[in-house]
Amino acid sequence: MSISKTEIEKLAKLAKLSFSDEELERFTAEFDEIIAFADTINQSIEGGTEEIRNVGARMVSFDDLRADEVMPSLPNEKILSNVEGYNGFFSVERSKK
Amino acid sequence: MEYEVVIGLEIHAELATKSKIYCGCTTEFGGEPNTHCCPICTGMPGVLPVLNKTVVEYAVRAGLATNCTISSFSKQDRKNYFYPDLPKAYQTSQYDLPLCKNGYLEIEVDGEVKKIGITRIHIEEDAGKLIHDESGRVSYVDYNRCGVPLIEIVTEPDMRSSSEVKAFFEKLKSILEYTSVSDCKMQEGSLRADVNLSVRPKGQKELGTRTEIKNLNSVRAIVRAVDGEARRQISVLERNGVIVQETRRWDDEKGESYSMRDKEEAHDYRYFPEPDLTPIVVDEAWLDKIRSSIPELPDDRRKRFMAEYGIPAYDAALITGSKPLADFFEAAAKVSRNAKSISNWIMGDVMKKLNDTGLEPSDMPIKPESLSKLVSLIDENVISGKIAKQVFDIMWDTRKDPADIVEKKGLKVVTDTDAIRSVIIQVISANPKSVEDYKSGKTKAMGFLVGQIMHETKGKADPQAVNRLLKEELDKL
Repeated sequence: MSISKTEIEKLAKLAKLSFSDEELERFTAEFDEIIAFADTINQSIEGGTEEIRNVGARMVSFDDLRADEVMPSLPNEKILSNVEGYNGFFSVERSKK
Repeated sequence: MEYEVVIGLEIHAELATKSKIYCGCTTEFGGEPNTHCCPICTGMPGVLPVLNKTVVEYAVRAGLATNCTISSFSKQDRKNYFYPDLPKAYQTSQYDLPLCKNGYLEIEVDGEVKKIGITRIHIEEDAGKLIHDESGRVSYVDYNRCGVPLIEIVTEPDMRSSSEVKAFFEKLKSILEYTSVSDCKMQEGSLRADVNLSVRPKGQKELGTRTEIKNLNSVRAIVRAVDGEARRQISVLERNGVIVQETRRWDDEKGESYSMRDKEEAHDYRYFPEPDLTPIVVDEAWLDKIRSSIPELPDDRRKRFMAEYGIPAYDAALITGSKPLADFFEAAAKVSRNAKSISNWIMGDVMKKLNDTGLEPSDMPIKPESLSKLVSLIDENVISGKIAKQVFDIMWDTRKDPADIVEKKGLKVVTDTDAIRSVIIQVISANPKSVEDYKSGKTKAMGFLVGQIMHETKGKADPQAVNRLLKEELDKL
């Protein structure tokens, strides 16, 4: 599997990142290598998707999940301590869909 | 040309768990902004989510109650998009391996039973709420709702009209209520629907281009949006126009939909498996346990009500459509000898009161036993049907026992024949014209006199006694 420059451009756009042409070329090559590496891992496991999925996955049973109990939340001023808040809200650049 | 409308639904229901899906914050509706939040649900770096057990149980319960196959192995995925209602910049959802799939529900429209396929049910987290400052350049974000567990129920494009959509939606809603999976409070956004709709010339096999109408939060809006969007698409086709595949928003006040003009690439969510959460394995033992927690469902209850309490199919269907209403009926009917009368009261005065006051059936101020007592008071001829309505109003407002109300307000039927007779004689002498009319064969005049007598006795006279005694007195003349 290899990745094209157009795909990298699309990903960058989706991630709201912008790159120079030179950077795009470099990333395309690097991504290619990373994906090839992931492919090697896939090929080293015998079997189909199910087997790949199960490798290393600790099977979690029902009792390992969290019980539905309410725990205290953080106080509002803690939640907002590192941001610009307004009347208890997070304040962000106006974003209307 | 005749067109066929093809509709599928995506329904989001907030689960009735106490805590959020990946952290212990409360799911309670409302609250001061950002007070039901912690580092996990606000997406702080370095935190780890832990799945709430009850979320899986409720989703499986919903799946079993809608005839789905439950996946023994499913996983969670990240759905990536940038919008400030989502602090992690992704929503944890399920992509290719949902918890439940291939289910169906049967609906009945105009006497015809139809199967509506359910493609899948998956679990995911809700997003926060944004308030846009219309004048300024900022939006305010409240993450209290962020991380509240949801199930998304996706149907097959099996519906062909707004009445089918309404029947399906109401049935699904009542099942979610019966199984206690969701409180389904639409006004609080606990239950909302997206409509996928396309039209095609009747007889054509291929589907037309579909549009999606997002976030409809009342049954009325869903029905109106389906009808409105079908009309719009047909009129576009009639003018030889082209339907654009897009997301639209329904403006219920204007009664029309408008395009949200989403950028095409925004739909590319780049799903990938959530590495912070292990796969969900539902084994047979767990499945059995969940299966045994499913209560009697609306269809079964409807049939049982007809058999056990002898109420007509129409009554049974209407009452079992809402779990709290059905519970109320059953509690009242159990201690009553007149189930049909209980059902009449529920379908009439009770539902009218609920409508007028905007209360949910679960918030009903009167007790089922009180309604049952009220019915007995009528049946035992202690009060008249007309007086009963007054008593009912007082019960609703004061939550008092009907017998006490009747006693305190002196509303008992007057069966004392002497007392009634003296009123009759009074009325007869005050209305010689009507008496004359009656005597000359105008039987209608009798009704007028009865009315006068009931008025004089403030509706408390036993109507049968009044009729009998009035006739006696008139015949004497």
